[in-house]
Amino acid sequence: MNNPFKNIKEADKLKAIKYANVGGSVLYSLFRYALLLSIGFIIIYPLLYMIVTSITSPLAFLNSTRVWIPTDFLIKDNYAKALQALDYWDSLKNTFFYPIASALLEVCSCAIIGYGFARFNFKGKKILSGILFLTILIPEMMLVMPRMANYGNLDFLGIFGGIEKLVEWVASLFGSDITATFDLTPNIVNTGWTMWLPSFFGIGLRSGVLIYIYIQFFTGLPRELEEAAWVDGAGPLKTFLKIAVPSSSVVFITVLVFSIVWHWNDSLLTSIYFTETEPLAPALVGAKEYLGAAWGLYGGKGAPQQAAVMMAICLLFITPVLIFYMFIQRGFVESIDRVGITG
Amino acid sequence: MSKLKKSRGIEELKSRYGFMFVLPWIIGLVMFFLYPLIQSIVYSFSDVAVSPGGVDIKFVGLKHYIEILKVDQNYTTELTTSLTSIVYSLPIILILSLVLAMMLNQKFRGRIFFRALYFLPVIIATGQVMKLVFETTDDSLTEMGVSGGMASGMITVEDLTGMLNMSTEVAKFITTTINDIFNLIWSCGIQIVLYLSGLQSIPATLYEASRVEGATKWEEFWFITFPMLSRITLLVGVFTMVELFINERTPLVERVYGSMLTGQYDKPSAMIWLYFIIVSAIMGVIIFLFNRFVMKRYEA
Repeated sequence: MNNPFKNIKEADKLKAIKYANVGGSVLYSLFRYALLLSIGFIIIYPLLYMIVTSITSPLAFLNSTRVWIPTDFLIKDNYAKALQALDYWDSLKNTFFYPIASALLEVCSCAIIGYGFARFNFKGKKILSGILFLTILIPEMMLVMPRMANYGNLDFLGIFGGIEKLVEWVASLFGSDITATFDLTPNIVNTGWTMWLPSFFGIGLRSGVLIYIYIQFFTGLPRELEEAAWVDGAGPLKTFLKIAVPSSSVVFITVLVFSIVWHWNDSLLTSIYFTETEPLAPALVGAKEYLGAAWGLYGGKGAPQQAAVMMAICLLFITPVLIFYMFIQRGFVESIDRVGITG
Repeated sequence: MSKLKKSRGIEELKSRYGFMFVLPWIIGLVMFFLYPLIQSIVYSFSDVAVSPGGVDIKFVGLKHYIEILKVDQNYTTELTTSLTSIVYSLPIILILSLVLAMMLNQKFRGRIFFRALYFLPVIIATGQVMKLVFETTDDSLTEMGVSGGMASGMITVEDLTGMLNMSTEVAKFITTTINDIFNLIWSCGIQIVLYLSGLQSIPATLYEASRVEGATKWEEFWFITFPMLSRITLLVGVFTMVELFINERTPLVERVYGSMLTGQYDKPSAMIWLYFIIVSAIMGVIIFLFNRFVMKRYEA
C-alpha cells in the first residue's frame, strides 16, 4: 500500500482544494469590503454633506461645477448664525441639566428593576412582565398629553389631592385659611421634574427597552458569586451593588449609550415639557422658524443660504454626541459582543 | 419538616426582596403609564379643554373618530401612507440589518472601524436632523440649479423599466426602495446592534459541529443562525415597528405632534389611537404568524 504516487495525488488534491478555498475567500472578502464600503458611504454621506454645506457661501451654491469642495467659504458667518439660532450654549446647558441627567437616572433605576426581574421570583411577575412588554410597545407620544395635563397638579391617583383638601378642611374648622400656602400637588410643568421623576421610577424615555436589556444580561450572569454573598449574609441591595454591578460594565455601557442618545435626540417630550428653558432638541425644531421666511420661500424647502445655516445648526446639534461616541466607541463596540441580548 | 419550612421561608423572603426591587417601577407604572394611558383613551372620546386650573373633560362618544374618518380629508390618506410605509419598510430593515450584522460579526481587517461606522446611525438616530438634511437636499434645490442635492443622482422608474423590461409594479417597488435607501439604512442602527449581540450569543460549538458534518454556509445559516436568532428577530421586529410607528417624518405623526404642541388634546388622541390600534393589529398578526411558522418549527 506504500504507493508514493498516491500520496502525491492526495497532497495535490488537498492543495487544490485549499487554493480553491483561498480564491473563493479572497473573492468573498473583496465583495464584503465593497458592500461594507458602499453602505458605509451611505451612512457617512449625510455627515459629509452637512460639513461641506455648512461651510459653503451662498454664492458657491449657484456654481454648478462645484460638487464637494466649495468654491467660496463662509464659515464664520454661517456658524455665528447657527449658534444664535439654537441659542447654543444655554440650550446645551439645559440639555445636560434636563434630558442627560434624566438619562443617567434612568440607567440606574432600570438596572435595579431589571435585576429584580431577573433574579427574584415574586407574585405577579408574569403580569408585570406583560405590562413591561406593553411599555415597550406603547410609545411616549400616546402618553405625553395626559401626562402634561397631570403635571399641572402632580398627584398619585388623587390621593395627595384628597389629603390636601382634608387638611385644608380641618384647618378651616380652626378658622385658618391655608389654601394658598399648603400644596401637596405641585405644578411641575417647565421644571426638570417632568423628566427626572419618570426616569427615577424607571418609566422614562423607552425605559422598557432598557429594563429588557438589563433582564437579559442579569439572567445570563452566573449566580454563584451572588449566592456566595447571600450565604455570607449580605442583603439583596448589598449583593446587587457589590457583586452584580461591578461585573456588569458591559451592560452599563450599552444602556448608557442608548439612553443618552435617545434623550439627546428626543424633541417630542422636551419640546412639550420645556417651553421656557429649551434643551437643544426642541431648539433644533424651532430653528426652522428662526430662519423664518427665507426657509419657506421655495415651497418650504429652503434657500441656499438657509441650507448652509441649517446644516451648521444640525452639525452643532450632533457634535456633542459625536464626541461622546468617540470616547465611548471602543467600549461600546466591544460590549455589544458580550451583553447577551438574545431576544 | 422544619427544614422544608425554613427553605420556603427563604423563598418567601427572596420573593419579598424581588418585590422591593420592582416596587418603584410599579409606582411609576401606575402614575406615569397606566393612568395616563386610560386618560388618553378617555380624551379620545371626549372634548378636552385645557385651562390653567386643570383639564375639563366632556364625554362626546365617538365624535372625534367619526370626524377624522368622515370629515377630515387628509386623515385616511395619511393613515394609509403611514401603514404602507411600515409594512414595506419592516422586512427590508430586518433583512438588511441581519445581513449587515452577520458581515460585521465576521473576523476581518478593519472590523472595529466598520462597526464604529455602522453604529453611527444609532448615535444620530434622530428624525429631526435627518428630516432637515432631507429637506435641504430635496430636489427642489437641484431644480434651482443648486448642485449636490442628495436625490439628484437617483434612478427613476422609467430608467429601470426600460432597462430591464420589468413590470411596473416590481419596478416601482425597487425604485421606492432605492430612493428610500438612505432612510432605510439609517433606520438600521439599533437593529444591527441587537442582531450583533444575538449573533454573539450563539454557541460556537454549533458551527464547529456543523462544519465537521460538512454543512455548507447556506445550510449553516438556515439551520443554525436563523433559528437561533428567531427570538431576537421578534424583538428587533417589535422595536422596528414601534420606531416606524412614531417616525416623525410621516405626515400623520407630524400633524398629531403639531396639534399636541398647540395644546389640543382630544382629536389628536383619537387620531393616534386609531393609528395605534391598526398598527398593533398588524403587529399581532405578524407575531402570530412568526410564532406559528418560525418559532414552533424550531422549538419542536
